[in-house]
Amino acid sequence: MRSKLRRSILYWLVLLPLVVVILFPFGVMFVTAVRPRAELFVYPPTWGFSEFRWENFSEMWEKTNFGGALLNSVYVSVTATVIALLLSIPAAYAMSRYHFSGKGAYRTFLLMTQMMSPIVLVLGLFRLMMALGLVNNLNSLVLIYAAFNMAFTIWMLQSYFNSIPRDLEEAAWMDGASHFTSLVRIFLPLAVPAIAVTAIFTFINSWNEFVLALTMMRSSADYTLPVQIYAQVAGRYQVEWHHVMAATVLATLPVAIVFSWLQRYLIRGMALGAVK
Amino acid sequence: MSKVLQKSVPLLMILPGLVLAITIIGYPIIDLAWTSMQEVSRFGKLSGFNGFDNFAEVFADPLFYGSLVRTGIWTLAVVGGTLLISMPVAIILNDDFFGRGLARVIIMLPWALSLTMTAVVWRWALNGRSGLLNATLMQAGLIDQPVEWLATASTAFTVEILVGILVSIPFTTTILLGGLSSMPQDAYEAAVVDGASGWSQFRYITLPLMKPFINIAIVLNVIYVFNSLPIIWVMTEGGPANGTDILVTYLYKLAFRFGQLGKASAISLVMFGILLVFTVLYVVLLSRNEADAAPEKDVKDEI
Repeated sequence: MRSKLRRSILYWLVLLPLVVVILFPFGVMFVTAVRPRAELFVYPPTWGFSEFRWENFSEMWEKTNFGGALLNSVYVSVTATVIALLLSIPAAYAMSRYHFSGKGAYRTFLLMTQMMSPIVLVLGLFRLMMALGLVNNLNSLVLIYAAFNMAFTIWMLQSYFNSIPRDLEEAAWMDGASHFTSLVRIFLPLAVPAIAVTAIFTFINSWNEFVLALTMMRSSADYTLPVQIYAQVAGRYQVEWHHVMAATVLATLPVAIVFSWLQRYLIRGMALGAVK
Repeated sequence: MSKVLQKSVPLLMILPGLVLAITIIGYPIIDLAWTSMQEVSRFGKLSGFNGFDNFAEVFADPLFYGSLVRTGIWTLAVVGGTLLISMPVAIILNDDFFGRGLARVIIMLPWALSLTMTAVVWRWALNGRSGLLNATLMQAGLIDQPVEWLATASTAFTVEILVGILVSIPFTTTILLGGLSSMPQDAYEAAVVDGASGWSQFRYITLPLMKPFINIAIVLNVIYVFNSLPIIWVMTEGGPANGTDILVTYLYKLAFRFGQLGKASAISLVMFGILLVFTVLYVVLLSRNEADAAPEKDVKDEI
C-alpha cells in the first residue's frame, strides 16, 4: 500500500509538466471568454480580471453570426454522416460475412484512401467541385466528408461486425428466414451500438474539418464553425479575442465532452481493426 | 444463374461506396496529374500541354526547397518528440496508481479539441503583448519583458512544433497503451525472478515486444503530421516571410492565393508520391503484424 502511494506521487510528479501544458490552453480559453473587453490588452499581461462577463457569449452570438455557422456545421456533419453510414453498413457487412474475389484488393484500396489526406488533393477536389457546380455549396463538403470518412467507418464497423457471432444469423436461416430478413431483424439490432459510435466519430470528424471548408466555401454566409472562427482571427487588424474564445468554447465544449466519453470505443475499434 | 447472383451480392454491397470513393478521391488524382502537365493561366484556364515545365519550375524554386526541408524538420521533430514523450506516459498510464483514471482523461484531452481550435487558442495565448503565456512567465518571474513568440520565424516554428507534439500525444499514447496492455505478464515475472532491473526489463522485454506498435505509431504519425495544415496555417500562415512554410501551406498558398495552378498541382503530385511510399510502408507493416498476431489461424480466411 505504501509503495503504491509512493509510486502514485512519483508518477504524478513526472506527469505534472505535461498536465500543466495540456490544461493551459483550456485555461486561456475560459479566462479570455469571460473577461471584459477592456481587460484583453493590458500591460503587463495578467491572468487576473475584474468580473465574469457572461454577456460576452450573447454578444458574440450576434456579432459573429455564430447561429448561421452552427446550422451550416450541423447540416454538413449530419448529412455526411448519414451518407457515409448508408454506404458503409452494407460494405462492412460484406467484408465481415462474405468471401469474394477482390476482397484483399478492396481492403488495400480502403487503407490507401484512408491515408490519402484531403490537403494533398485539395486543388483537384476544388476543380472537381467547380466542374460539378458545387463550389460555395455545402453539399460539396457533404460529398467529400462522406467519401473521406468511409474508409474509417467501414473499418470500424467491420471490426465490430466481426465480433457479432454468426450463429444467430445461421440459426435464423435454418428456421427458413431469408438473408435479408435475418440481416434486418437479427443482425442490425445487435449492431446498433457499433453504428451509433461510428456515427458519432464521423460526425466529429466532419464537425472539426477545416481545410476543405475553407477552400470550398467562398461566402461568409456558408462558413462552417471552424472557418467562421478562423475568419474572426485571420487578416484582421483588431481581433475581438474575447468573442473568439467564447465562440471556441461554445463550438468545442459539447463535442469535446462527447468525444472524451466515447474515446474508449474508438480505442477499442482501432485495437481491433488497426493494430491487431 | 442463382449462383452468379449469390456471388454478386457482396460486390453489390460494396459498389455504391466504391463509386463515391473513386469519384471523390480518384478523380482529383487524375485531374492533378493532368493539370500538372498543362500551362495554366492565372484564371485557372488550361491552355495547352507543356510537358514537365511545371515540375522543372518547382524544382528550380528555392521556396519549394525551403518548404521541403522544413517539412522534414517538422515531421521528424513532431513525430520524434511525440514518441519520446508518449512512451513513458503510456508506461505510467499502464501501471496501477492513485488517480490513474483522471490522468488518462487529462492526457487524452487535446484529442477532443479540433486542430483549428487548438491553434486559434494558442495564437492568442502566444500574443506578443498580452498573451497569457507571457503573463504566466512574467508573473512567475521567468521573464521581465513580453516575448513576441510568433514574430520571428525560428521561434514561431519551434513553438508550432511543440504544439504539434502536444496534439499528437493522445493518439500515440493510445496506440502504445494498446500494445502495453496486451503484453504477456509472465515474461516480466520471469525477469523479476532473474533479478532484471527496471531498465533492462524495458530494454530487453518491453521494447522488442512493443516494436510493431511503435512502428505503426511512427508511420501513422508521419502521415498525419506531414499532411497537417491547421496548426501552422492558423498560427502564422507560413509567415513571417515564408519562414514557417511547409509543403502543405506553400501548396495551399500557390493554389488559392497566387493562382499558380500548374505549379501547385506539380507539388501536389510530388507530395502524393512521398505519401504513397509511406502508405505502402504502412500496408506492409500492417500485414506483417497480422501474420504475427494470428499464426495458428488461417490468415487467408481473415483477409
